[in-house]
Amino acid sequence: MLALKKPLVPIMALALLGIFAAGPAAAQGTLVVSSPQDPGSWDPIDTFLVNWASVATNIYDGLTYRGPDGKLGPGLATKWDVLDNGTRVRFYLRKGVVFQDGEPFNAAAVKFTFDRLLGPEGAKGPQFSNYNAIESVKVIDDFTVDFKLKKPDPVLLVKLGGYGAMIVPPRYIQEKGEDWFNTHPVGTGPFKFVSYEPKIGIKLEAFDKFWGGRPKLDKLEYRFITEPATAVAELQAGRVDLVIPPTIPIGMISTINSSPNLKVVSVPGLTVLALRFNTAHGITQDLRVRKAIIMAVDRDAIIKTILGGQAIPIASFQGPLSFGFDPSMKPVPYDPKQAKALLAEAGVKPGAQIQIDIRNNDETFLEVNQAIASYLKQVGINATIKPYETNYMLNDIIPNGKTGEMFQQAWGGWTLDFDNTAYLMYHSGEKWNPYEKDPKLDALLESQRSITDVAKREQILQEIARYSADHAYEMLLYNLNSIYAINTRVKNFVAPPDSRLRLTDVSVE
Amino acid sequence: MVKFLAQRVILSLFVVLAVTLIVAFAIRLTGDPALMLTQGAGSITEADLARIRAALGLNQPFFVQYANFLKGFITLDLGKSFLGGTPVATLVGKALPATLLLALSSLALSIILSIPLGIAAAVKKGKWADQAIRVLSLLGLSFPNFWLAMMMVLLFSITLRWLPPSGMEGILSFIMPTLTMGIILTATNVRLVRTTMLETLQSQFVMVARAKGLSERVVLYKHALRNGAIPLITYFGLQFGGLLGGIVVVERVFNWPGMGTLAFDAVAARDYPVLQSVICILSLLIVGVNLLVDIAYGIVDPRIRRD
Repeated sequence: MLALKKPLVPIMALALLGIFAAGPAAAQGTLVVSSPQDPGSWDPIDTFLVNWASVATNIYDGLTYRGPDGKLGPGLATKWDVLDNGTRVRFYLRKGVVFQDGEPFNAAAVKFTFDRLLGPEGAKGPQFSNYNAIESVKVIDDFTVDFKLKKPDPVLLVKLGGYGAMIVPPRYIQEKGEDWFNTHPVGTGPFKFVSYEPKIGIKLEAFDKFWGGRPKLDKLEYRFITEPATAVAELQAGRVDLVIPPTIPIGMISTINSSPNLKVVSVPGLTVLALRFNTAHGITQDLRVRKAIIMAVDRDAIIKTILGGQAIPIASFQGPLSFGFDPSMKPVPYDPKQAKALLAEAGVKPGAQIQIDIRNNDETFLEVNQAIASYLKQVGINATIKPYETNYMLNDIIPNGKTGEMFQQAWGGWTLDFDNTAYLMYHSGEKWNPYEKDPKLDALLESQRSITDVAKREQILQEIARYSADHAYEMLLYNLNSIYAINTRVKNFVAPPDSRLRLTDVSVE
Repeated sequence: MVKFLAQRVILSLFVVLAVTLIVAFAIRLTGDPALMLTQGAGSITEADLARIRAALGLNQPFFVQYANFLKGFITLDLGKSFLGGTPVATLVGKALPATLLLALSSLALSIILSIPLGIAAAVKKGKWADQAIRVLSLLGLSFPNFWLAMMMVLLFSITLRWLPPSGMEGILSFIMPTLTMGIILTATNVRLVRTTMLETLQSQFVMVARAKGLSERVVLYKHALRNGAIPLITYFGLQFGGLLGGIVVVERVFNWPGMGTLAFDAVAARDYPVLQSVICILSLLIVGVNLLVDIAYGIVDPRIRRD
């Protein structure tokens, strides 16, 4: 045994590997998706994780359906009537639909789904409260059901198109049990469950009897990859076809686009960002100061340079897909001169100090804030940035009103209804509103919650948006894009803003 | 020896207990699992959060929760993950072998490489072979392991397409993670073997062995290495503990479905049952290995056994 010969062995082994090349996994008719998180359960009532929906939207259907265009349409219900001033909704169900285990879909399945969601099993999970406006579900006949509501819920129809309202198979769950269902999901959607390995991935295949026609793909695989660099390496190696949000950092976009067979597809997403003001303490109590601070920062330039254009400016705390969005509202223009004048008028001396609180887990947002601080410096305000651990900031600093003059708020709800944001941000006593108490705004916020007249409700939501912009409760920054990275062999992919992938029409070359 | 071992076992158990207590306490300071479960919701009320917390058993006092965990752990019932309710035993049952395989293969690679290289460097002290080995070792030490991992992925997965960039599927997927950890371990170990051997080679018994006319191979491997092995065994043992800690980064880069990935995800999701079990098992392993090192000492060196 000679000492120096040993190291040669592994090197030779490595050289030999060229023969057993690890070829790409991209098979015909199979799409491989990289998703950053394993939700642990595929039962609709167990989680409220975005990456649950990126998979499960292919397995299940709701009574209604909202696709990537944000428009609400029929799902398992072909039509519906809103009755009794919005306290009863009658759904007419689609006929000839079967679950992936062969069980027929009918009114009893709808009743079972909502009894389960609103019963003790559902109460353990996070979905329950989203649907607790529903008092009971009554079977009228095999294909007609009535939803009786405790009070009108203007967002209910949207909510029936996703997450907890996905229709589940009664016989299957009763026979196999809850635990089995968690890891062996069955629905009426275009793809059928094949296998699931916790923390590794889930495999689906086309469901031949899908009511909307068999999907174009034969197989659909999801792999759970948390690290962005790893997901992109898999994409570059041709073993993954699609990387879904929130994975791709802005800094990696150019790398992806420089590969001939890869591209980035992005659409305005759900998340909007703002630096909200502490309106109870410090110089930001003064409306003029708040307006000056907003004017002093060139938000368009920040979007172009730091965010590589992967965001759009906003004029209220919502994106253009949100119900309540008013296209006639324009963002406050960048105007440092006017900002200085307003500050002088408010008696703020050059060199005034403010503190900006942000979460410590987002490098890009830190850069954005460094830019904001340097803009503020130019109008004579010294801003210090204070990063907090995210959970600590969300559970203590903001709700208990311990923030500096400005603090980060990132927000986005999948229902895309401004009520979801506005009520929690602006109503007195809400967790995210530690500083403001405004009876007029409270009344506006409450009034739209019981209205079923869609146009009137939209008007009130737009009024709330204008009211909050006039009072400068926050420096509105931008609506971030949802960024997908994709292999060009994938055809007909339409990027959804909310990560709820439905890949029925997608095919691969 | 028996008394010594008994003392060590008690001390080790105390260490494990302290580690799990600190982890259980610390993770509870950092945030609310109920909030993490509802990230897609947007609107969620305090009442909802309270209901979810109650379902997860988080409404009980801290020490009750901790005692329940310990009781469960001792009776081998590790509970269920907060994320989706998968039994923790199922998750650990898959992750632990993955991590151990990776750690052992890396350690084995480093031992296979560093012993002959270290001996060669010691024997050829000051010559070009020694210089080359020392420079290579310095290079190996200077690489951050995640960087090394990414460079390998770039070369072997993206450019050459020989190896899968991530995951644990088949023998090929072991190569890059093992090399990443193994190379860095080797860089340290080569220096250690070299120093140890240099000391041993100057001992009188080596001179005696040579004077007896024994072949150089027998002198090096039978006499010098066996005596020099004592500090090496301690070090490799301790290194195994460090390896389990340092594996998190490598597992993450290679999306390796091991304990590091499990712990990382559990911290991010505030999945207390998973995190507590992972930490408890890893600390048991680390103190267990240290105990074994003590025992191995006695086997290699009879002088210790007699004390």
